[in-house]
Amino acid sequence: MRAAMAAADVDDDVRGVDPTAHRFQAEMAALMGKEAALFVPSGTMGNLISVLVHCDVRGSEAILGDNSHIHLYENGGISTIGGVHPRAVRNNPDGTMDVDEIVAAIRHPDLHCPTTRLICLENTHGNSGGRCLSVEYTDKIGEIARSHGLKLHIDGARIFNASVALGVPVDRLVKAADSVSVCLSKGLGAPIGSVIVGSKVFIDKAKILRKTLGGGMRQVGVLCAAAHVAVRDTVGKLADDHRKAKSLADGLNKIGQFAVDSATVQTNMVFLDIVDSRISSDKLCQVLKKHNVLANPSSFTSVRLVLHYQISDNDVQYALTCFEKAVEELLLGGTRLESLVDGTTENLMGTSQI
Amino acid sequence: MRAAMAAAEVDDDVLGADPTARRFEAEMAALMGKEAALFVPSGTMANLVSVLVHCDVRGSEVILGDNSHIHIYENGGISTIGGVHPRTVANNPDGTMDVDRIVAAIRNPGGELLYPTTRLICLENTHANCGGKCLSVEYTDKVGEIAKSHGLKLHIDGARIFNASVALGVPVDRLVKAADSVSVCISKGLGAPVGSVIVGSKAFIHKAKILRKALGGGMRQIGVLCAAAHLAVRDNVGKLADDHRRAKALAEGLKKIKQFKVDSASVETNMVFFDIMDPRISPDKLCQILEQRNVLTMKASSKSIRFVLHYQISDSDVQHALTCVEKAVEELLKGSTKFEHLTNGTTKSSYGH
Repeated sequence: MRAAMAAADVDDDVRGVDPTAHRFQAEMAALMGKEAALFVPSGTMGNLISVLVHCDVRGSEAILGDNSHIHLYENGGISTIGGVHPRAVRNNPDGTMDVDEIVAAIRHPDLHCPTTRLICLENTHGNSGGRCLSVEYTDKIGEIARSHGLKLHIDGARIFNASVALGVPVDRLVKAADSVSVCLSKGLGAPIGSVIVGSKVFIDKAKILRKTLGGGMRQVGVLCAAAHVAVRDTVGKLADDHRKAKSLADGLNKIGQFAVDSATVQTNMVFLDIVDSRISSDKLCQVLKKHNVLANPSSFTSVRLVLHYQISDNDVQYALTCFEKAVEELLLGGTRLESLVDGTTENLMGTSQI
Repeated sequence: MRAAMAAAEVDDDVLGADPTARRFEAEMAALMGKEAALFVPSGTMANLVSVLVHCDVRGSEVILGDNSHIHIYENGGISTIGGVHPRTVANNPDGTMDVDRIVAAIRNPGGELLYPTTRLICLENTHANCGGKCLSVEYTDKVGEIAKSHGLKLHIDGARIFNASVALGVPVDRLVKAADSVSVCISKGLGAPVGSVIVGSKAFIHKAKILRKALGGGMRQIGVLCAAAHLAVRDNVGKLADDHRRAKALAEGLKKIKQFKVDSASVETNMVFFDIMDPRISPDKLCQILEQRNVLTMKASSKSIRFVLHYQISDSDVQHALTCVEKAVEELLKGSTKFEHLTNGTTKSSYGH
């Protein structure tokens, strides 16, 4: 990947002349079954642009899950930056929203109401454990959107994981969507970036908004060369990530202090619940970090583990051993941990546990 | 530069862990005499973030030049994205705004029922639309004093601040001392592939980091890009003086062409603007012919053209360009060249308009 970046053919992408960016964007559009594609610096920008282009008229509202990444982890940008009002509908544990709750959330023309223009889905659903939305469910939501004159955007940061886990070609999986954002810098392993795909008209507007937000980069071929290698070489490794996630989950279930709902381990994520109240998630993560196993607390009593292709089967076994040791240490009370003055400890994103 | 990018040590900059980014940002902060720095994907984002952080309270107004890049070429983002109201003041041909007009534009707090609140003044150094002209350190300090005495912040769009520093012979940190924040482009004459840097106080950069993320500029393993940026600053600032010398040589050469008018005294840095005095020569057509001969220029108005020099353009390239321009003028006067025309009779510029 570094070699490809070093050798990349580049030019000024703001003037539309970077050949590597052109090639990569065309490749992604074709792969996802859409007319056009646009490389952007991040998934946050991918989603922000998509929502804002679909909702470019002041007074718009977008329906999305109450546990979705756009709603929780994107700085509320669709509103604070874009002036779009969110209408959050409850996410089920499997990442879906009930179809009738979505329909009920669609606004009727009214003096008091913003205008619903968009529904957003997230596949795989991060906060639900990397669960997949089926093609049937996606198609169903697409029909509802269409019949109400709305657009459908899929936050497909990990859409390739969904495609592989479901055994559904990615273009079929997102067929019902007007736009999709796809991350290259997660499990696919590129250093930077996401891609938005959609119609030519949509992408033309997206390009202008990308510039406005400050995402118009110059010789972006350097990054697109890496992205191309990521898609070409790493999508095929995702199935192994899923297999390793399952074996990690099985191993964790053997540790009495933990519980993992293995049925919910569908892709490359494992959420583990801590059932022993003597062990807190952030202390567990701190101890694991000392052993070079990086994990994130997802609540006071749960931890999120994410697999990627640079984690081998041996690494998974090693991690399980570290978990066992960590539990021992914490139960014996022999470890010294840093605590902040108010008694909380910092997690990896630098925020204190609330 | 490509080797440095390929060898760069990287990690996740969103988690604050990319060592190359950290090193580069620390280096830029020190160089510019500010507490902290932040790498961003573009100059547009650098200016957008800076204006929005200084003007984070709804109902803010910013004073800036009517011919400034922020006002003309950044999609009106400070308003359409950031909700900040612009108050333009006339730019003089030298890139400055009259000090008394700036002061007159500052909103009187007594009128708060009707007025937005002025929070920020923006300068641009070098000033692109005015020909790459430098704002002096005395002028910058003066505007900084005005800002301070009125409780305002000062932001400098310093896309080409190193050109100004070199041309004026003023160290860059001294040049921007009066500013609360500066945006600097690494991807222009300094030659890096991507990016700009914002510099300012720790508190300012802390907020800028969050806004950068909100706008979607939080990138992961940016060490790849920061490695290139580091080299750009290390190796190419020292070459800017030659760009300026070549710009002057180009201007002198263009002056000899009687169909053109060149104010060579106004060539201060790496840009040359010239006016076409003969109506038989249109800037579009001239640019087209030059492009066919591999000399890339930009139409600046209905009767002027902009040349920009960079370190990969040599002295003999400058001579070659002059020869091409002379030949192009001959062709256009003889009327013998064929061009592509769009159906409405205009030709496209490289930005597609």
